[in-house]
Amino acid sequence: MLVSLKNIAQYVSLDGLTAEDIANKLTFAGIEVEEVYPLAQGTNLIIGEIVECVAHPDSDHLHVLKVNLGNKYGVEQIVCGAPNARTGLKVIVAMPGAKLPGGEIKKGVIRGVESNGMCCSLLELGIESKYLTEYQTSGIEELPADAVVGDEDVFGYLGFDDTVLNLNVLANRPDLLSIFNVAKEVAALFSREIKLPKANKYNDFKTNIKVGSETTRCTQFSSREVKNIVTKPSPKWMSSYLMAMGVRSINNIVDIGNYVMLMTGQPLHMYDADKLAKAELIARDDYDGEFVALDEKSYKIIPGDIVITCNKVPMCLGGIMGSLACAVDENTKNIYIESASFDGTSIRHTSNRLGLGSESSSRFVKGTNHFQADFVLDYTTDLLKELCDAKECSDIVTYQSEKKEEKVISSSLDRINGRLGTEFTMDQVKDVLTRVYFDVKVNADNSFTAKVPDHRLDVTCDADLSEEVIRILGFNNVKSILPNLDMQVGALTLEQQRLRNIRYYLLDKGLDECLTYSLVSKKEKDAFNLLNNEEHYVILNPLTDEREVFRTHILHSLLKAASYNIAHQNKDLMLFETSNMNTKSSVSEHLAIVLVGNDYAQGRMSPLLFDFYSMKGLVEGIFQTLGIENSRYKFERAKNNLDKLHPGKSADIIFQNQVIGTFGELHPNKYAEYDLGKTSAVVLEMNLESLLAAKVSVTKMAPFSKFPSVTRDLALVVDKTVEVRDLIKTIKVEGKGIVVDAYVFDVYEGVHIAEGKKSVAISIVYQKSDSTLKDADVNEAENKIKFALNKAYKAEIRM
Amino acid sequence: MANEKITHIVDGALEKINGATTVDELVEIKNTYLGKKSELSSMTSLIGTLPNEEKKAFGAAIHEAKEKITNEVENKLAIFKEKELNEKLQKESIDISLPGRDYHVGSRNPFHVIIDEVTDIFIGMGFEVANGPEVEKDLYNFELLNLPKNHPARDMQDTFYIDENTLLRTHTSPVQARTMEAKKGAPIRIICPGKTYRRDDDDATHSHQFAQVEGLVIDKGINIGHLKATLELFAKKMFGEKREIRLRSSFFPFTEPSVEVDITCANCGGKGCNICKGTGYIEILGAGMVHPNVLKMNGYDPDVYSGFAFGVGIERVAMLRYGIDDVRKFYQNDVRFIHQFSKK
Repeated sequence: MLVSLKNIAQYVSLDGLTAEDIANKLTFAGIEVEEVYPLAQGTNLIIGEIVECVAHPDSDHLHVLKVNLGNKYGVEQIVCGAPNARTGLKVIVAMPGAKLPGGEIKKGVIRGVESNGMCCSLLELGIESKYLTEYQTSGIEELPADAVVGDEDVFGYLGFDDTVLNLNVLANRPDLLSIFNVAKEVAALFSREIKLPKANKYNDFKTNIKVGSETTRCTQFSSREVKNIVTKPSPKWMSSYLMAMGVRSINNIVDIGNYVMLMTGQPLHMYDADKLAKAELIARDDYDGEFVALDEKSYKIIPGDIVITCNKVPMCLGGIMGSLACAVDENTKNIYIESASFDGTSIRHTSNRLGLGSESSSRFVKGTNHFQADFVLDYTTDLLKELCDAKECSDIVTYQSEKKEEKVISSSLDRINGRLGTEFTMDQVKDVLTRVYFDVKVNADNSFTAKVPDHRLDVTCDADLSEEVIRILGFNNVKSILPNLDMQVGALTLEQQRLRNIRYYLLDKGLDECLTYSLVSKKEKDAFNLLNNEEHYVILNPLTDEREVFRTHILHSLLKAASYNIAHQNKDLMLFETSNMNTKSSVSEHLAIVLVGNDYAQGRMSPLLFDFYSMKGLVEGIFQTLGIENSRYKFERAKNNLDKLHPGKSADIIFQNQVIGTFGELHPNKYAEYDLGKTSAVVLEMNLESLLAAKVSVTKMAPFSKFPSVTRDLALVVDKTVEVRDLIKTIKVEGKGIVVDAYVFDVYEGVHIAEGKKSVAISIVYQKSDSTLKDADVNEAENKIKFALNKAYKAEIRM
Repeated sequence: MANEKITHIVDGALEKINGATTVDELVEIKNTYLGKKSELSSMTSLIGTLPNEEKKAFGAAIHEAKEKITNEVENKLAIFKEKELNEKLQKESIDISLPGRDYHVGSRNPFHVIIDEVTDIFIGMGFEVANGPEVEKDLYNFELLNLPKNHPARDMQDTFYIDENTLLRTHTSPVQARTMEAKKGAPIRIICPGKTYRRDDDDATHSHQFAQVEGLVIDKGINIGHLKATLELFAKKMFGEKREIRLRSSFFPFTEPSVEVDITCANCGGKGCNICKGTGYIEILGAGMVHPNVLKMNGYDPDVYSGFAFGVGIERVAMLRYGIDDVRKFYQNDVRFIHQFSKK
């Protein structure tokens, strides 16, 4: 909402206040001023008259002008390229030294001819082109004949000696979409008197227009008939003012409509009375059909849209746009003015559906004052009399279905101070509320009632009153005191803490934590989905088809992040992300990991390519971090997703009898898809829900043997398909009571080992809890183990 | 006479030891002077020929001589060994500028740095952390927050819808409503960090996905002073002890009064600079007293309970603190960006 300070000063004295003072005060009172700027910019300007205009000898479009600048400066020669430069024209001249938005004007020589200044267009004075006509932007500004040559107060003459505030009007204060109400607010903030215009009453004749509403979506409809008006351009003050407010001047009637809306916040509509089939304007919402609007386009109206009808034919799309059929034009003589109240929701639906929005519709959507129609119509009529030579003005006819109810709020000083944490006195509170136009009645016990002014649609309860008090008196009156509350353990829940532990474990292991978008395209929704078969949420109103589906897996997004990095020459990646997956049947926390390229755990000089076991180690570490023993989970060769993962180098993670995650080396066919080049990539996706919720027993210290242990190695050759974990399981079973640990330290295939076989070397640690081992004990156990391994796996013992 | 000879032998030995340059020479010297066939050893056999009163002194003199030579040899040997060792160590010297084994820690996206830090600050003040779904019911996202269907303020938050009653949450505030529902009228002190979504085109300052941390305190006698003090503490912890805050009146449908909270600009300390556009302050969050309608709708009697709520934009805080110029950088995951935030 643009506000001209010169305009405000008509209603409240701004003496002694700078634009910054006003902007500051408004901003702290909840009416944020986004910009403060001079309407036009330029120094050293003067009004001149072109007394001679000849063609430049060395140019086909430049003119050499002699411009009379009055007694003080005499006649100066100026070279000018404007096509409309001509003798007798009064123009704005920027003299040498003038500072304009585009730069400083200097004396110069243009193609051999001396030029001592510049004739200006309004564009050059900082007026935006959208407010100017094509004629105005194509040449220099043509001043009216009454302009005084030698007048140096050019902006004063043009009405441009003004500062504009751009207010960010929030949804609770639609009343501020009215200059009168902004002026009231300024007056209240600075405790100054407000003087708003009074309007004359008219009743030259009784109009026979019938107004009414057959829908609850229009609760009020008032009209007046005005006869014998003259359509013509608006006077300079009006067109300049509208320009400053960002509205383009059309003609006096349209301009008055816009002007009144800016002043009062009430959108108006004017009907050409002679174009109506009969004297009737009825609001309805049951029309179904085509409607040709002022913009000469046809719109499809459906039931629910508010239309103003005559003979059941729509003459106006209520609050949005009039019909071409009864539009005011240069031949219009008699008009009906409409000042109505429409339901904002309907207007919003209609304007959104048709893509038709305007200053007028947005005011209805935000909310208008339903009880000021008489004033608005009288004020409009005053202007019609002044600017359109209106002759006869009728009485006002009104349809109104809602009763005006006085809003009175009860509160007390204690409630106000209690909410604010302040120590204001009753006098202060009463003064503030009175300043913002509440009618306050205070009782002996400092309880009080406040009658809400009509324009304040937002005030409904005493919390609102406390806001009025504090926004005017200022938040620096609030004492900062930490609340004195009951003690409470501030902590993460177990699930939150575990999630953090997992993240911090991975960070400690050198992985980088990523953040990718939850919305993906339809094509991507299952692009690297290893786990989740649940149904996706799809966005009804996506912005682009890139962001249309709520993802149910992370891995595709994380692989794309890897891809981005590889493309930017960031090699060797360790990335992870945890994120919440929302499907139609569940909400769950997922973890994804992508390892690409080299693992430098042994230093830059000893790189190892990431492989299946890198990821397996991380998974085991996660379980360990959470205190879940390795007996409670297992890895099984992956059964699904064998088109995405290497079928021989992938595994499912089984916990509580469910596959909670899958990981493995990327399928060779997938590298190109993510532009990963020739390297190694290992990926994981895991649903963390069961882990985060898992029961973990309290740690109890277990005794450990004080007797020495003996470690012996065992090398054996078995079929390649035999899994080492089975060998170790057998060793532990057979050595029960004496074998305390067994671990593989070498696996070898190749020279000296038969095809289809592998050599496995295992260290076995023997120890007794109650006595020192004897050789015989170890030998006995070892033999038993060898026998069992041979029997179960045809293991050939090598040492 | 005999003693003079001993002295002579010792002097000769010491001279040779002193002149020795190798371990082998020393071993030879040792053998020459202390071996079984050495002069001193052969002199030992003379003891028997001496008168009894001289025996003891002569024996002691020989022993002393042997000990002296032994000590000298050992000392000299130790010097040689140390030298030898030093030479060996010298040869073993490595290039200490080569990199260490790679025990580097990973880095968090600054997004996570801020979420973790904000969470920890409020946990320190006794807050609990509440979570809620990102695909949310209209009821929780809007209606229970004093934003009935068709409320014009809904336009402030252009929304992604799944269906008429389901949407992507536009703020973390629905967790307020969910928590009030779960706490059934008991006092509340929570924060809710999480992702949120709005129908905005992505550019340097807008993102269709972003995150907030919501805070909610409900108890008896809560007022704006409590809100101010809590946020002051937060601002100082988050941005530095020198930061001050100020409140400006504003509007949110779910709070009344509503405020915007500004902190003094960390760049200029409040004097005014480019970053704060000359105002000395930077807007960091929105807050207010929980609207009585919100309390009522969610089962709290506004005449008994009051509360405050606030919402902080995570990316905004990170951008301010780290000087990040484009919100899209958070979602690009360029490791050259992420690695800058390895500090814990």
